Amino acid sequence: MITIGLPKGLFYFEHNMLWERFFKNLGCNVITSQDTNKQILDYGVKCCSNETCLPVKVFHGHVYSIKDIVDYVFIPRYISLDKNEYTCPKFCGLPDMAVLNLKRQVKVLEVRIHTDMFPSETFDSLLEISRVLNIKYSDIIEAFKAASKEFDEYIQNRHKFNQYIKDVSSTKSALSVLGHPYMIYDSYLSMTLLDKLTRRSITVYTPKDIDHETKRRNAYPFQGKVFWDVGFELLGSAFTFAEDKNIKGLIYLTPFACGVDAFILEFIERRIKSHYNIPLLKLTIDEHTGEAGFDTRLEAFLDMVG
Amino acid sequence: MKVTFPHMGNMYVPIKVLLDTSGIDYVMPPYCTNEPLELGIRHSPEFACLPFKTILGDFIYGVDNGADFILFAGGRGQCRLGYYGDLQAEILKSLDYKVKFVCLDLTNLTPKEILNRIKPLTEGKSILNIIKGIIYAVKTVYMVDNLNELARYTRCREIIKGQTDRLISQFHNLAQKANGYKNISDIINLTKKSLRQIPVDKKYKPVKVSIVGEMYVSTHPNINFQLEKKLGNMGVEVQNNLSISHWITDHFVRKLLPIKFKKEPHEAGKEYMKTNDIGGHGIHTIGCSILSAKNNFDGVIHLYPFTCMPEIIAQCAFSEVQNKYDIPIMTLIIDEMTGEAGYMTRLEAFIDMLKMKSEVATTNN
Repeated sequence: MITIGLPKGLFYFEHNMLWERFFKNLGCNVITSQDTNKQILDYGVKCCSNETCLPVKVFHGHVYSIKDIVDYVFIPRYISLDKNEYTCPKFCGLPDMAVLNLKRQVKVLEVRIHTDMFPSETFDSLLEISRVLNIKYSDIIEAFKAASKEFDEYIQNRHKFNQYIKDVSSTKSALSVLGHPYMIYDSYLSMTLLDKLTRRSITVYTPKDIDHETKRRNAYPFQGKVFWDVGFELLGSAFTFAEDKNIKGLIYLTPFACGVDAFILEFIERRIKSHYNIPLLKLTIDEHTGEAGFDTRLEAFLDMVG
Repeated sequence: MKVTFPHMGNMYVPIKVLLDTSGIDYVMPPYCTNEPLELGIRHSPEFACLPFKTILGDFIYGVDNGADFILFAGGRGQCRLGYYGDLQAEILKSLDYKVKFVCLDLTNLTPKEILNRIKPLTEGKSILNIIKGIIYAVKTVYMVDNLNELARYTRCREIIKGQTDRLISQFHNLAQKANGYKNISDIINLTKKSLRQIPVDKKYKPVKVSIVGEMYVSTHPNINFQLEKKLGNMGVEVQNNLSISHWITDHFVRKLLPIKFKKEPHEAGKEYMKTNDIGGHGIHTIGCSILSAKNNFDGVIHLYPFTCMPEIIAQCAFSEVQNKYDIPIMTLIIDEMTGEAGYMTRLEAFIDMLKMKSEVATTNN
């Protein structure tokens, strides 16, 4: 049986279910790397260039940690995930980056996704997978379609099961944590930020809690225009939460020198200053960030918000 | 309406020709000074790339000095360049500047569409003059790039050092003051003629270095610390793989021709990136460094602004390119904090190494 490795970084936090199902449908054995830890981070830092951002470094650490126990490491190549929505350039080059930075010691499987301009590329790459894994092409297509159908249903309904919709009419005060999914849901990179807040019995909402359409509608000034997908998510969530009276503050978690966040945060900061009256805490994280300093800033912010 | 535009290398010369010919009023920010850059840095996000900051600075300077219309080019895709316009418009708005900001999507644009978008600017102006302006401007782009090409040749070979630099800076002084296609093309031709008369050592075999990387930083001398000039005066012949004329040839001229050309650097770069686009000039950078090695260059200098996303990806391929094609590559990353002395030291060390390497090669043969 073929063993496929899924690194627990970047795309994993949004699309783990899709790819796990896909490979299980094909009858492959799927191994996920461990949660991020010091060792994974250290290896990632060692094999990437300095300028690479922290989440990409960590991703390399994950690939390294499983490369010897699996037959192939799966790294999708996301270029555009929806009409008019592009990804960060790092996602487009991710499979090549991993191969080059790990000195070609890793075998990578990729699926290309370019919904905006070349949707057919996905099927070309599936054909390639069928050749590499020696599985019939029709089986691959079937497995992919079943997995993506299940995934779409989950995404469509995800926000219905969460607390935000139910709480929106109440007067319960809460905070919102914003950032790339691979920053806020990775508890090592976020220094267990979500846990820290829940332990103080603070209700926390993240971009996951708002439905797709609302986020696109509120993503000032890019409604109907071309932008990064994560940009739509974060701009939309920030302005949706900012309008909610119950939300007492926004915390934005960003990796050091993130090119995408540099722009998104500027849009959020300028608009929040001029149109809303809500405090915003920006926490920048890199591999040298000390947890004590991080906690001090967080505590000061929580005291101020009250 | 008074328009303002950002600087990018020698681009101001053709833009002036275009605006002069079509009779549009404009404010030109000063060339190669730090004042606009400082304005830009003050109002830009910390981690925005350097081109964003200088361009914003030029806009603010222009608007402060009477411009009320900004024309800017963007695109779609992964690179931040596509979204510059939106953020700059937003920043100018929150700084309370009253200015009309028009953003042209340059990824797939025909001359007709350009005319459509700049309508507020061209109203009341003669269409004939505008078309003439565009043709003259494109011609000027090629003329200026030609002039630079010639300067790169003479600078490293001239017998009395400094002659080329003097002529080029004289050219810039005159070009900034001159108006109209005729005057500017006269100045270009005159400079070209004087450059040709510079006595050069024809037998001198210079070390050849090729510049790859992000387009803005590679072509704008004010933020790359006059890299071409510095290298030339060290006796190095430079090839810059990024120029506006290359870009126009790739994006417009070749698209209009019936024969489909393959972009050579792009095809070569795909050896390391199994995709068509990683944003910006990422694949072009890898391709150009491979082609430079194949064309017997001695070294490659890779330039990019701090936090440039596509170039960070391209950089991953370099350790393999260096080994496989046997060509030294040095990456220089530039932001507003870069110190010139440290930059010079690295440059000198790299060139010394290239010279020693080529000496060893010649004695061995």
